[in-house]
Amino acid sequence: MDVLEVTGAAAVLSLADSRFPGGGHVHSGGLEEAVARGLATDERQLASFLYGRLRTAGELAAVFAAAATHAARQRADRKTWIELDVELDARTPSPAQREASRAQGRGTARAGRAAWPNPVLDDLLAVTPRPHHPVTVGALVGIAGGTPRQAALSVTYLSVSGPASAAVRLLGLDPFGVNAVVVSLSPEMERIAAEAAEQAELPATELPAPNAPALDLFAEAHDRIHREEVRLFAS
Amino acid sequence: MKASARLVVERDSAGRSVVRELRSMSPLTLVPRRSLLANATGPALVHLVSSATAPLGGDDLELSVLVGPGAHLRLHGVAATLALPGHRPGGSRMTLHLQVADGGRLEYLPEPTVVTARADHHAELCADLAGDARLRCREVLVLGRSGERPGRLRSDIRLTRDGDPLLRQRLDVGDPTLDSTPAHLAGHRVLATELLVWGADPAEPVSGDWWSLAPLARGGSLATVLADDTVAADRMLRTALAAHPGLDKAEAGTADGVTRVAGIA
Repeated sequence: MDVLEVTGAAAVLSLADSRFPGGGHVHSGGLEEAVARGLATDERQLASFLYGRLRTAGELAAVFAAAATHAARQRADRKTWIELDVELDARTPSPAQREASRAQGRGTARAGRAAWPNPVLDDLLAVTPRPHHPVTVGALVGIAGGTPRQAALSVTYLSVSGPASAAVRLLGLDPFGVNAVVVSLSPEMERIAAEAAEQAELPATELPAPNAPALDLFAEAHDRIHREEVRLFAS
Repeated sequence: MKASARLVVERDSAGRSVVRELRSMSPLTLVPRRSLLANATGPALVHLVSSATAPLGGDDLELSVLVGPGAHLRLHGVAATLALPGHRPGGSRMTLHLQVADGGRLEYLPEPTVVTARADHHAELCADLAGDARLRCREVLVLGRSGERPGRLRSDIRLTRDGDPLLRQRLDVGDPTLDSTPAHLAGHRVLATELLVWGADPAEPVSGDWWSLAPLARGGSLATVLADDTVAADRMLRTALAAHPGLDKAEAGTADGVTRVAGIA
């Protein structure tokens, strides 16, 4: 299925657009901390960082976005939204990462409420005013008529596009080169999105739980250092 | 080899934690180590001994541990586990089911697991707690013996309390492309984690460069360490545990010369 061949395609493009006013631009996904430690200083290391992020945080976001789209298309009850919220919390041991996800989810929900007002979104926000980002994106894609796979692809792309644009600002890397790195990850993004879509109907307890220890440690260290000195990004 | 072992510890009428049921099945051998002179109200102490080379490819091992209301069990390993390749396809699997009743306490402190070359191992931990049950659960993964490239290991952790999920994690190691990325293991050879549902959690996360102690969203906390060797992992894990308000100095392994963090040296 072509990503643009069903309804909801414009919603998907909007949600994955770096200009979508959801507040994603203030997050680097751990890249700023990796840069501060000298672990991501050139294009080759950036490519490795993004690949690792995609395989872990990207997959986790993909499965929850896909499940949320399925839930929204089914007009899920509040219990389903609570389960997705609680299960994604259980898969996010780092408090700094939970906060980053909820901050972006909140921003995305505010923008989404203006663009796609819908009782399904009201239900999600009644469960929690600060839903996780992948759940929010998934719900909005479902409300706009899109598919689990589209939602999964959006958040999978966002899991690397945000850190990639942060790299341009933090390291002054060549934007053409960095963009080429992101594009080179397309086959892996599409594989992860397709697998996430296949699991979209699973109960939330059974959704995959990929973890990245270094990203957890970077998130905590970034948060600690951010309190003491100025950092460019919030996470 | 297919094996299933079971251990049940309960609190008797005198308040002692006693082993009620102990069923070993090679290679999972359970050895109670409770001394008659030990503090009568102290924990039951059981060692998990591997009586054969395991896990090997094709092995499917299962250990169920039940701790009754008010009982206290400390389950130790005595040697590192070597995850090895076998002659049979399908990899090896070790599943651990832990159940702790209200008021019970379980400390599972095994020695490190070394993922040797060409191993294909799946370690699964399912822990269910009731009420104010306490649990400490450590996992130390070493990627390969010295100078050896590791095989594959998948570790799944599923922790619930009264049915609510506290932690759910899947960790894959041994994929060279993924292990080396700065986002995953950042090239480190040792990953140590300790899961704690042990009284009060830290109010705020505490962290250093390569370790953290983080409160989970709905209770419990997780210590995470990445290190180049087990000595450094031991030191950082102790530092992380020292910040846990529910552990005293001996439990955290920071009391002078009394207790080292079991399993790593």
